[in-house]
Amino acid sequence: MTKLRVCLISIATATILFSGTQDIEKQTFSWCGVVHAQDDWKNEFDDVCSKTQDAVIFSPDELRNLIARCDKLKPLIEKLDETQRKVFLKRLQRCRDLFFFALESKEKE
Amino acid sequence: MHPFSQLFTFFFILLFSAGAVSAMTVVSPDRYGRVVINNYSSRSGLVPVVFDHWLHRAKFTCRLCHVDVGFAMEAGATKISAATNMRGFHCGSCHNGNRVFEGRKIFGSCSGSVLPEEAERCERCHSLGKEVKKEYEFNTFINRLPKNALGNSIDWEEAETKGLIKPADFLEGISIKRTPMKMDKDVSIESGVAWMSDVLFSHKKHAVWNGCEVCHPEIFPITKKGAIKFSMLQISSGEYCGVCHTSVAFPLNDCQRCHTKPVQ
Repeated sequence: MTKLRVCLISIATATILFSGTQDIEKQTFSWCGVVHAQDDWKNEFDDVCSKTQDAVIFSPDELRNLIARCDKLKPLIEKLDETQRKVFLKRLQRCRDLFFFALESKEKE
Repeated sequence: MHPFSQLFTFFFILLFSAGAVSAMTVVSPDRYGRVVINNYSSRSGLVPVVFDHWLHRAKFTCRLCHVDVGFAMEAGATKISAATNMRGFHCGSCHNGNRVFEGRKIFGSCSGSVLPEEAERCERCHSLGKEVKKEYEFNTFINRLPKNALGNSIDWEEAETKGLIKPADFLEGISIKRTPMKMDKDVSIESGVAWMSDVLFSHKKHAVWNGCEVCHPEIFPITKKGAIKFSMLQISSGEYCGVCHTSVAFPLNDCQRCHTKPVQ
């Protein structure tokens, strides 16, 4: 009975630990799926906000898509702890505002 | 002249003079760009933080701190706290006690508990009204840099162009990798009066220090040339160009740096 319990606990632990996914493109491996999920918003944030330098060369549709991605990120960041929320909401707002500004400029042209 | 017109002219001149005088208020070069931060310091029994822009702007771009780290462009608006610093944000992005820059370990900012022997570390920032020995002394630091009569008495633009300063634009773990900004379009801004030269605004010069989002849309919500009119009175009150050029970048009384286009 004890052996069975140890075995079940081992299987459960192994399942939790190795339930991560491999991101082939970025050649990273997450040991735990939970950690990977938490990092998703950060990867998305980095990807969206890395495009601000090129804001003026994007088409209106591309800019609309970037704004929509910012809007999707907002509720995820709002769920973070107070410190992260304070920092990243401000940074996200800067990105979004710039994309919106670029879009307005293009539409007025 | 109608007495009402005389009164109006008098008040207009008075108002303009007040703006001009405040714009030309002279502070010593080492104090130009100084920001006093007191969000929570006094409540925590500490003196407010004194932040001098000159040292940081010699080492880092405006964009790095005001976009990547996330400091607001308005004093006090970031609500920097010991908690954010301890989590590795705001000042703690660099001042975490571990980061090494130019071969030096950057001192840590806030910590949960401070031993009496560590109090000196707190005073490196929480220094308002205190005689604190700084690691970098202003007069020694500026010796090797090109001079300018106004502001910090440093010609930052020339210092950067000559490679005397190489402001870092990327902070590992904080910054996002971006392609270099390609914006070299100059904008001509009409001065509005016949006797004053027009302004030739260089995106290229500004882009060295700032990304797009430092200025747009927060400071310049302008999407079409000439859509918004702004005056020297607004600028000298700290709006538009005045956000930086009354406090950190070369001051407004250096007229010819901006008004470069000859009067037609």
